[in-house]
Amino acid sequence: MEPILHVRLPDEYKPGQVEDLLAGKFAFLVESPIVEKWTFYDTFDWRLFNRSLVLRHAGQELFLEPLSGGESLNGLAGTSSPVFAWDLPENSLRQRLEPIIKVRALLPLADLHIRSRTYRILNKDEKTVARLVTTEARTLDEGSEFVLATYLSLRPVRGYPKYSRKLAKRLGRVGTKTPMLEDLYFSALERTGQNPGSYSGKLNLKLKAKKRSDSSTKVILRYLFEIMKANEAGIKADIDTEYLHDYRIAIRRTRSALSQIRNVFPADVTEHFKQSFRALGQRTNTLRDLDVYLLSEDEFQARLPEAMREDIVPLFDYLRLLRKRSLEEVLEGLSSSEYARALNEWEEFLYKPVPKKPGAANATMPTVELARKRIYKRYRRVLRDGDYILTHTQDELLHALRIECKKLRYLMEFFASLFPRKKMGRLIKQLKKLQDNLGDFNDLSVQQEYLMRMAEELPIDDPRSRKALVATGYLVENLGYRQKEVKANFADTFTEFASPANQKSFRQLFAQKRKAGR
Amino acid sequence: MTILALYSNKGGVGKTAAAVNLAYLAAQSGLMTLICDLDPQSSATFYFRVKPKLKPKARGLVRGPKPIDRSIKGTDYENLDLLPADFTHRNLDITFNRQKSRKQRLKKVLKPFRNEYDLIILDSPPTINIMAENIFNAADHLLVPLIPSTLSIRTHAQLLSFLKKNKYQSDGVYSFFSFVDGRKKLHRELATWARGNFTGVLRSVIPYLSHVEQMGIYREPVPAFAPLSPASKAYQALWEEIQQEILNERK
Repeated sequence: MEPILHVRLPDEYKPGQVEDLLAGKFAFLVESPIVEKWTFYDTFDWRLFNRSLVLRHAGQELFLEPLSGGESLNGLAGTSSPVFAWDLPENSLRQRLEPIIKVRALLPLADLHIRSRTYRILNKDEKTVARLVTTEARTLDEGSEFVLATYLSLRPVRGYPKYSRKLAKRLGRVGTKTPMLEDLYFSALERTGQNPGSYSGKLNLKLKAKKRSDSSTKVILRYLFEIMKANEAGIKADIDTEYLHDYRIAIRRTRSALSQIRNVFPADVTEHFKQSFRALGQRTNTLRDLDVYLLSEDEFQARLPEAMREDIVPLFDYLRLLRKRSLEEVLEGLSSSEYARALNEWEEFLYKPVPKKPGAANATMPTVELARKRIYKRYRRVLRDGDYILTHTQDELLHALRIECKKLRYLMEFFASLFPRKKMGRLIKQLKKLQDNLGDFNDLSVQQEYLMRMAEELPIDDPRSRKALVATGYLVENLGYRQKEVKANFADTFTEFASPANQKSFRQLFAQKRKAGR
Repeated sequence: MTILALYSNKGGVGKTAAAVNLAYLAAQSGLMTLICDLDPQSSATFYFRVKPKLKPKARGLVRGPKPIDRSIKGTDYENLDLLPADFTHRNLDITFNRQKSRKQRLKKVLKPFRNEYDLIILDSPPTINIMAENIFNAADHLLVPLIPSTLSIRTHAQLLSFLKKNKYQSDGVYSFFSFVDGRKKLHRELATWARGNFTGVLRSVIPYLSHVEQMGIYREPVPAFAPLSPASKAYQALWEEIQQEILNERK
């Protein structure tokens, strides 16, 4: 049976003292100790922790458990340490894990050496009627082992509740009741200097409505700068694709903030940094594109008839080769002195206090006012352009609308904390639906062109190339059909976004309130 | 979930020893296992050091699943629980006879435990009356220990024809030889004959070995007190064959 009670023993407690606790009161038998290595895992952005879950590797098994206790899932760990969900054997644990961590790598957070010893409590017939388990957890700390904590758990045996009740009473006196897993998790992370939940790619900003717009903008930009910095190491180590993704989004948001939050800094400064970030963004375009194609390899293959699925492999092998080269270029860029200089300059600007008497027109405007103005303006632009497309559906116009939507979305996210959360969340969700439609349309058109171009680059003299070319042709045609479907969905998606109810919400939240008497 | 009944209408053929050792091995392999001691002589209960008495007012098999739940005892081993025997079960036949759907009582009583356990092993008393029919209805498979004697073989033939006549599935019936002395020619011949004439005779045999008899002294399953003994290995082989032939087949 599951333990009903965990007690954390005082640090000076010695294992022999458990025997003293039982002596004279209970007959018992000590089993030989079991030694295990435990490793806790999570993704870089704490996806499991954010759901109050922990993934634990113990012995040959993996356990996905709620931190505060409760029903856990377990499954065989497979031969090596897990890195990605797809490395795990097909089982219910993987099914639960995959939608949470998606393409992110599992990083080991802490290694623990667990030594547990079971004391079997016996009755007159020498029958086991309860079990007491001491669990000692050590961490490897600069080469030497350090006792992190010792716990005493009571595991009742079904049908003998009296003994467990008596033991539980005694245990309460030797230590403090503590949920073991949770306590161990936080202790181990604290020991290794990690702060769960400390990184998130999301914009969790808290702005002040009445603060000057230029300092609020700097708050936003500093936040984005920290995201960029936080992801550099992961990009360099090539752990998973999402470090680069988050890094790029931070750059894109930075560029968007610089151009969309108008006239808060001197025009020449803004222009200078806009150029600088545009160049930074461009350096990683190719690598991200290749990441996306390679992540979708299975999905692309699934679009082909069964007999053709193998044929397209040379294309992806070629993309893998290109990715290797592209990664090298990106890494070179990240460690260049030019890059360091650009970031230093930026950092200096970000942490410099705003001038008392700024020249820029909107610098001292209250943040919420500028936010309203900018968001409402972008929103009306999206409405106008979308309306036009309903009657003049051209691919280029859809592309332009996608960019407009993105600008609006970023603005809404920058300033989300200034507006009612629920309403804001609903509007962003509506906008996201429209963006998904436009994004899919754009991706599909870029993909068709790109895949065909790459397939043509395959060596002509290799007979596999011809087959790959045919398969790519088939795939591109399939993507073309899908694109038509997506395009056909635009009208409905947009009409929903532009519904009178939504328009009213936007107006209420963001339209300038004209003061009486003006 | 599978319910496996160790059954024989002869006594002293090694039913309880097999039930106890197989239940232990099943639990060790990670299956949540319940062993039900249906025999009023309560030998299985004795082997697990549990007192042969159900909770007062918990005449489980008679009243229904709720009270039974209270009577289940954890054993000394992980994943292995026991429903102890009760001397009052000696009259179960008569009680069942008085109840509605008298041949389905056991099945109904065990139903709630299908979710809780992966394997339920029934250790049955040597009868072929209403209790036996309850076992036939409740169990997914019967596992019949055969001792290599002509009478035992004859009894098995009787059982098979009874099952057939009363329309019980006879393809769920498996058997294995127990108390075998490999030096005796008769034992070898009978085993060969049985394999040729009955279906479901498992290859593993349990030899006549002193460790099996010592279970009563140690009050533990053989693989727990003598894990490397030939007897332990014989049960291990039988358990592996059961997993392959009987349990896997159900998936």
